[in-house]
Amino acid sequence: MAATYDLTPKLIPYLDRHLVFPLLEFLSMHKIYPEIDLLKAKYELLAKTNMVDFISMLYKTIHDTEEVPNEFSTKRDEVLQTLENLQSEAQKVLDIIENPEVISALRQDKLQNLNFLKEKYGLTDKMLNTLYQFGQFQYNCGNYGGASDMLYHFRVLSTDHELNVSALWGKLASDILDSNWDGALEEVQKLKETIDQKNFTSPLHQLQQRTWFIHWSIFVFFNHPKGRDNIIDVFFTPSYINTIQTACPWILRYLTTAVVTNKRKKSILKDLVKIIQQESYEYRDPITEFIESLYVKFDFEGAQHKLKECEKVLSNDFFLVATLPEFVENARYLISETYCRIHLKIDISGLSQTLNLDQEAGEKWIVNLIRDTRVDAKIDFKENTVIMNQNHTSIYQQVIERTRGLSFRSQILSSTIEKREAHQSASTAEAVE
Amino acid sequence: MSRFFRGGSDSETDDDDEIISSNEEEESEDDHISSSEDEATSKPAAGAGGRSKFLKDAVSDSDESDLDEKREVKSAKDKKLDALESSVKTIENAKKINDWVAIQNEFEKLNKIVSKSFGSIGMPRVYIKTIASLEDFLNEALQKEKEAKKKINATQAKALNSMKNKIKKIVRQFEDEVEKWRQNPVETEEEDNEDGDIEKSSPIEKDDSLQSTDALDDEGFEQVGKGNRPIEYTSDNLFKKLREILEARGKKNTDRLEQIKILQKLLGVAATSYQQVRVLLALIPAQFDYNPSMSNYMNVDMWKSTQKEINQLLTILESTPSFMIHDHVEEEEEDKEPVIEPGQTFGIRGSIVSFIDRLDDEFTKSLQNIDPHTTDYVDRLKDETELYATIVRGQIYFEQNDLNESTSRVVMRRLEHLYYKPDQVIQTVENTVSQSLPSNLKSSITPPAITQDSSDLIHALCVYLYKKGESLLRTRAMLCHIYHHALHNRFYIARDMLLMSHLQDNIQLSDVGTQILHNRTMVQVGLCAFREGMIKESQSCLQEICGTGRVKELLAQGLQLQKYSQLPPEQEKLDRQRQLPFHMHINLELLECAYLTCSMLLEIPAMAAAGSNPEARKKVISKPFRRMLDYNERQVFSGPPENTRDHIMGAAKALAAGEWQKCQELISAIKIWDLMPETQKIKEMLNRKIQEEGLRTYLFTYSSYYTTLGLEQLSTMFSLPINTVTSIVSKMIWNEELAASLDQINNVVVLHRVEHTKVQQLALMFAEKATSFVEANERTLEQKQAVGQNQRDQHRQKGQTSQQQNTEKRTMYQKRDGQQQRGRNNFNNVLGNSVRGRTQQNRYRS
Repeated sequence: MAATYDLTPKLIPYLDRHLVFPLLEFLSMHKIYPEIDLLKAKYELLAKTNMVDFISMLYKTIHDTEEVPNEFSTKRDEVLQTLENLQSEAQKVLDIIENPEVISALRQDKLQNLNFLKEKYGLTDKMLNTLYQFGQFQYNCGNYGGASDMLYHFRVLSTDHELNVSALWGKLASDILDSNWDGALEEVQKLKETIDQKNFTSPLHQLQQRTWFIHWSIFVFFNHPKGRDNIIDVFFTPSYINTIQTACPWILRYLTTAVVTNKRKKSILKDLVKIIQQESYEYRDPITEFIESLYVKFDFEGAQHKLKECEKVLSNDFFLVATLPEFVENARYLISETYCRIHLKIDISGLSQTLNLDQEAGEKWIVNLIRDTRVDAKIDFKENTVIMNQNHTSIYQQVIERTRGLSFRSQILSSTIEKREAHQSASTAEAVE
Repeated sequence: MSRFFRGGSDSETDDDDEIISSNEEEESEDDHISSSEDEATSKPAAGAGGRSKFLKDAVSDSDESDLDEKREVKSAKDKKLDALESSVKTIENAKKINDWVAIQNEFEKLNKIVSKSFGSIGMPRVYIKTIASLEDFLNEALQKEKEAKKKINATQAKALNSMKNKIKKIVRQFEDEVEKWRQNPVETEEEDNEDGDIEKSSPIEKDDSLQSTDALDDEGFEQVGKGNRPIEYTSDNLFKKLREILEARGKKNTDRLEQIKILQKLLGVAATSYQQVRVLLALIPAQFDYNPSMSNYMNVDMWKSTQKEINQLLTILESTPSFMIHDHVEEEEEDKEPVIEPGQTFGIRGSIVSFIDRLDDEFTKSLQNIDPHTTDYVDRLKDETELYATIVRGQIYFEQNDLNESTSRVVMRRLEHLYYKPDQVIQTVENTVSQSLPSNLKSSITPPAITQDSSDLIHALCVYLYKKGESLLRTRAMLCHIYHHALHNRFYIARDMLLMSHLQDNIQLSDVGTQILHNRTMVQVGLCAFREGMIKESQSCLQEICGTGRVKELLAQGLQLQKYSQLPPEQEKLDRQRQLPFHMHINLELLECAYLTCSMLLEIPAMAAAGSNPEARKKVISKPFRRMLDYNERQVFSGPPENTRDHIMGAAKALAAGEWQKCQELISAIKIWDLMPETQKIKEMLNRKIQEEGLRTYLFTYSSYYTTLGLEQLSTMFSLPINTVTSIVSKMIWNEELAASLDQINNVVVLHRVEHTKVQQLALMFAEKATSFVEANERTLEQKQAVGQNQRDQHRQKGQTSQQQNTEKRTMYQKRDGQQQRGRNNFNNVLGNSVRGRTQQNRYRS
């Protein structure tokens, strides 16, 4: 079952090689797939990178030998050679940049800075581009921190738009792999702006970029403490929700989890239900089904079953494994909230069962619920039931509610009219003059 | 037809004439004159050729060689005289039976010949004589008519009158000659004879140039047959003839049938494939042009022969790849066999795709005109397979020659023959076609592996058009693709395609044919949703088309009679041409039935929920349904249901009263469901829906009378599983449709409905009205402000306005940007928008 709901194969095409690696590591930890297959996948994945040592190690494990083909050693030499070359070249630039005089002389305007450096220190475009290349090379070697630094410097100075965007992606990846979540979050915001503002030649291209962005940003959103809020804000903007619906419906799992675990964004739940319903023919997993059975079918038993399945799925998902307890807690909360709204009298044991708790824990849970959310309810201990108090909004309250804003609105209206009249008389006066 | 026999028959009729005329001689003097004239004229009129005819007469069926020799020396003038002579003869014949219409026609022809050919040489005697005799005859006829007081029929009288005027005019024109002739008919005759002799001795070559063009115009086939049969076989002559025919094409008095016959004969003698191609390129359009009127359809036999000829053309082209037919050939072709170097292609001007288009159009036209309930229609429909084969063949040919534009057109044609058909039919057709095609023809767009599965095939064709076609073809292909998906119950795919393509945003701007296709697609998507049990979606798809009451018109399945307004005839004609052939029709009764059933399932609970609240009652989901229900309720006595509507109305009433079983019975009794595939499944689905909606209606209607309702009791009442009942009730509570809550212990629904006192109700209403009042005020102010802004704008300077335009543009761009993403979320709003557009257009038009 774990394999059926595993999204890794779907995610991989939209991720960078290096970003896939942690996913595969995670999979091999959870033993969802045969070990040897995973090793092979890892090998395939990294064969094209410059992490020669690691590759040769993988090779040894796969083929169970101590011997390594010659190509590895030659490649290793090559890599080291290139690395040295690039480093020495990049060092020149870095020397210039890290000079305190220069730093103090730099301003906001990129072009001006560049001219200044070109004139004073003989910095050329080509030298700048070496920074980029060096960053890329370091990234390929697995030195993400260094890559991130290089790309940062490059971005500060370069005016080449294409390379800048590319460096942005590179830096995001580096920060992610370096677990520098604050930096990554920043990059995510920047990248989002770039993608949204850029004029793409074809909508398809933009769609593709957005899809990539969505996949990469999950890394950040589920690791940064503020990420859970951000993911909802970003993914629920029309263009991104459309992208998800069109290109990658499986992202709904992450979106759903984010919504469920987020206490403050309950209002968004209705939209989510609508989207899940619309996409149900294209994508469904226990998590979306949980929401569906709770809010579309009102099938509490079904929801409870799904919740159990959700636990399994979440524990096997690289991104969501950390949110598991939170998710279960919040899911229970959702169930009981809905349950209480619909029911008048609830059998505690029944509810505990629905919530997947034993009798005592269930009772505790309900008491907590009543206390925390101020659900208007009482427990009848003798009959072992919860009785919900119906609170009707009385008519007079309704009338007040409806008419509350009216006087204010009327005031605004009259003031606008007055203003307008004043303006008109002024203009006529002008005309007379 | 050989000249020989023709000549023979001519002389025979001559003889007959004489005999008859001699009989008539006894009757009147005038007649005597005319007949003797006739006799006299026929001799000189023939001229040189005439003499040979006389010779022939004498020897009757003398040997051919003799005649042939004589024929060689016939001049153009003679031919013209021949023509004259034949006209005169017809006139004489017509005179005998008093057929003035025929006389008039023939006389006009005669005049034309004369003015065309003899203007320079001088009037031939025959002509003068004819005029004179006609005048006499006319006078006599007028006299007779007066005396007899017997009415001749209207057309004849009209012809007579117009003849009277014409003769008067002509006689005045040739007054002298006529006078001369009247005085001395014999002398002039002699003169004529002399003339003829002179003519004969004059050089013949001079006239040859005239012969080719004029003669053809005048007489069509007869002329060609006369001189050229023996030399038709040489390629030189073939091209010459071809050119003549092409030049004559489209001229007023060209006999089209004759032309076709000549061309067919030419095709028979064409020696090389180049010649064949050239002749075919002339023959096929000639056949299409045979029928000049737009409303009539092509003769079926001719259609078939044309179809064969197109196939032949394609065969030739397939076997000789050095010929390329396309319309970009610059220079006019030489009338000789081209020298083709190996590896090179020789361009010939023409357009096969237009032939195929035309063939297809003619086929559709014939189907439009044939009564669909006869066997003729079925017979005609059988030809579709062959037509389809031709289309496929054309497609392969274009593909192989990289004629992209033609390929897309022909692929579109192919698609339009397929998209509405069920799988088995497509399969059969494809199999037949693939067998009939030569095995060496392989299409890269539609390889044989793909044609096995109809969906794959249609997918391949559509994808080709998406990539290569122009925007109109893309739109049409998209619609066909969606239609096909809908036909196969793939609702979600169809829906997604419809919304992602944003077809509906600007379908109003496209041509009517595409709009019709769009309407068909919408209806099919609606029916698909219905089959899948998605009542709401189905209703929203069908609403726009079925709600208008102009279904027939919107789907082009018959003309709707306009009650108050009369369509202009041209408009009606156009509408008629747009009609779909019967076999493509979507069953309208089934459509209506599905629509009304959907409406019932949505409307009845909504009406129950609205209860006595007048405001809520105003919200109408389906107007036609409401109207019908009102009408039905107003009837004093209602008999047992007869048609589909009656059934549904009865069912709706039963549902409203909570009698879901009766409702089910009535709905199941509708016979038209049998037309849907998997009838049983659909009925089951409907039964289930009726139970659920029945439960909802019951709760809405009767909740105010209960404090509690047992879930189990509800479950038995509507024979639904208790879980479903709970779920439905929960949903209603959650959505605040029902003021109730569940009691889990006792398994009952506790209803909290509180009746408001009069004062409370009024207070609520007052609050509501106050709100709407404020809103109205705000709106008014907004409008005024907008107007004021405009006025002020006019005073502003130009720079500022242009700035504003810029911002407008930007917002427009943003909008467009947004549209490029898919707006699936507003599904219900978007579907069917465009149909409204079409309706409006129609309304405007009518």
